[in-house]
Amino acid sequence: MPEQSTAEPKVMQLSNSTRHALHEVGFDNEDTRAGTSILVDDRMEIAQSHMPGIEIMPLAEALRTYDFVQDLMFGLVEPDANADIAGVSDQRHDPVGHFIWVKPGAKVSLPVQSFTMMATPQKRQFTHDITLIDQGAQVEMISGAAVPEQVHTGRHVSVHETYLRAGARCTGVTIERWGAEMETASYSYARQERGSFSRSTAIKLSTLRHDLSHSETEVETDATCISQSILLAPKDTERELTTKIRLTGPNARAEDVARMVTTGGRIVNDAVLIGESCDCAGYLGCDGLRLTPDGEISATPALIARAERAQLSHEASVGMIAHDKLIYLMAAGLDEDAARDLVVQGFLAPAQDWLPGALRGQIAAMIGAARSGGM
Amino acid sequence: MLDIRDLTVEIEGKPVVQDVNLRVRTGELHVLMGPNGSGKSSLLAAIMGLSPYEVTQGSIHFADQPIDTLAPLERARLGIGMAFQRPPSLDGVTIKRLAEALGAENALATAAEALDMTALVDRDMNSGFSGGEIKRAEVLKLMLQNPRLMLFDEPESGVDLEHVRVIGEAIRTLMSKQSADAPTRCGLVITHTGFVLNHVLADQGHIMRSGRLIASGDALRLFSHIQSHGYRAPNEETVDA
Repeated sequence: MPEQSTAEPKVMQLSNSTRHALHEVGFDNEDTRAGTSILVDDRMEIAQSHMPGIEIMPLAEALRTYDFVQDLMFGLVEPDANADIAGVSDQRHDPVGHFIWVKPGAKVSLPVQSFTMMATPQKRQFTHDITLIDQGAQVEMISGAAVPEQVHTGRHVSVHETYLRAGARCTGVTIERWGAEMETASYSYARQERGSFSRSTAIKLSTLRHDLSHSETEVETDATCISQSILLAPKDTERELTTKIRLTGPNARAEDVARMVTTGGRIVNDAVLIGESCDCAGYLGCDGLRLTPDGEISATPALIARAERAQLSHEASVGMIAHDKLIYLMAAGLDEDAARDLVVQGFLAPAQDWLPGALRGQIAAMIGAARSGGM
Repeated sequence: MLDIRDLTVEIEGKPVVQDVNLRVRTGELHVLMGPNGSGKSSLLAAIMGLSPYEVTQGSIHFADQPIDTLAPLERARLGIGMAFQRPPSLDGVTIKRLAEALGAENALATAAEALDMTALVDRDMNSGFSGGEIKRAEVLKLMLQNPRLMLFDEPESGVDLEHVRVIGEAIRTLMSKQSADAPTRCGLVITHTGFVLNHVLADQGHIMRSGRLIASGDALRLFSHIQSHGYRAPNEETVDA
């Protein structure tokens, strides 16, 4: 099987609004990426690898090409786990989504980028992505989901299954920018085998009606999972984040941090960390910042220790933006909006240490737009 | 430039500053001395317009304009800046980022070097700083703001002697007209220890007690009097009023 798929058209053949939306969620020129996948509505517009050691193809094609993909599909979640997932499962014979395979030992020097777009208003989109980072492989992933500016209604449901084989290493960032009247539900399942390492950042800042993000991760012996979420809930936005991390092997490690800001919307964050093996360790952090009195944040971190010497801890805080900080900055000459933006950027800054500078600047701009009602 | 007349300031109905008259002219640096709780910080907070300090009598004029009813932002934009005694920590906001927000990134390197803070510009503002670093960061902030009236609330407390000199020199630099387009400033400094007086040229000193200014005159002579007699009004003949 060749390393490169020949899916067409290339990105320049996509509409201007689609390309603009892609750039907003992290797309960059293909010569700076090891591979690219772009799904628009139900069609995989681009699925290309630009480097050896990576295969990117539509999942439907992968099912026909590699027998083992059948075992990966719904290998981490039951196809009838709930109505949303059953909706994705209904088209399992001809799934919509990508298959990314980083082959054993591959050390990929450039990021791999993958994007899901919904370009048709009132679309109901069901996608299924499978990512396999094989034994000893290393890769950086940039992924995003978005709609063109003119699309603001629709429903998106996605299932993501990620396998990190022994000794694999994956770092990644995901940015979502859906339409204001949309409902989305994403279900992410991951298994990290012995000695693997993952570090991921999810950024969700735009207005939408309801967003459910559910993730379950199994962390095996000597594996490490570091994850964080940067969530903003503008007015009329409800976000529901549920996280379950199981530490199933000795010396498994996990750290999950959510930084949440509301400017009038509602965020519910339920996270549970389960220590099932001796000498595992994990941490949950949930920090919420309310910029307006009508915003609501609910943070519920839970710990379950089922093995000896499992070391689990959590911290949670939710509060209004500190008045003394605003006054301090305003006394230095910043107007109230600029002072708020700076405090919020500071609140979110620890979660952005791993992100490239350009992305941090984009986050700052999105925060400002959300605060002023521009998103 | 700063003209305070018959000023009374209250917090929740309780007077903390009473019948204060104070005039700081362009180019002048005044120092304010007094025991803890005497109203010095309350006076500076009232000039800056900070809550919960409420002007219940008298007036504050800056550059011939009444400012009593203006919000802190409006006062800042008129050219008033304050180095806080206990500033909040700005977690996640580096000094460099604050300088950018203030539109003063070009001034940062010089200001940081002057205050021996070059190594700290990528640290979060006032977060995890020592007492001395906080004081220097506040003076640095004023250097970035470039105000016409500078209010220093105990800039030397908690600062080692070497860095008191650094702070004093920074204040002196701010008071000197650095270029033709730089504003001519004035300043008001609260000092407990008087150490800063060794490094700045104070035009006048004041003793404050129980919310009132009880003496004004030559700053060094007033400080000398305090060292030997405490915070009492000196005799007329010992101090030039």
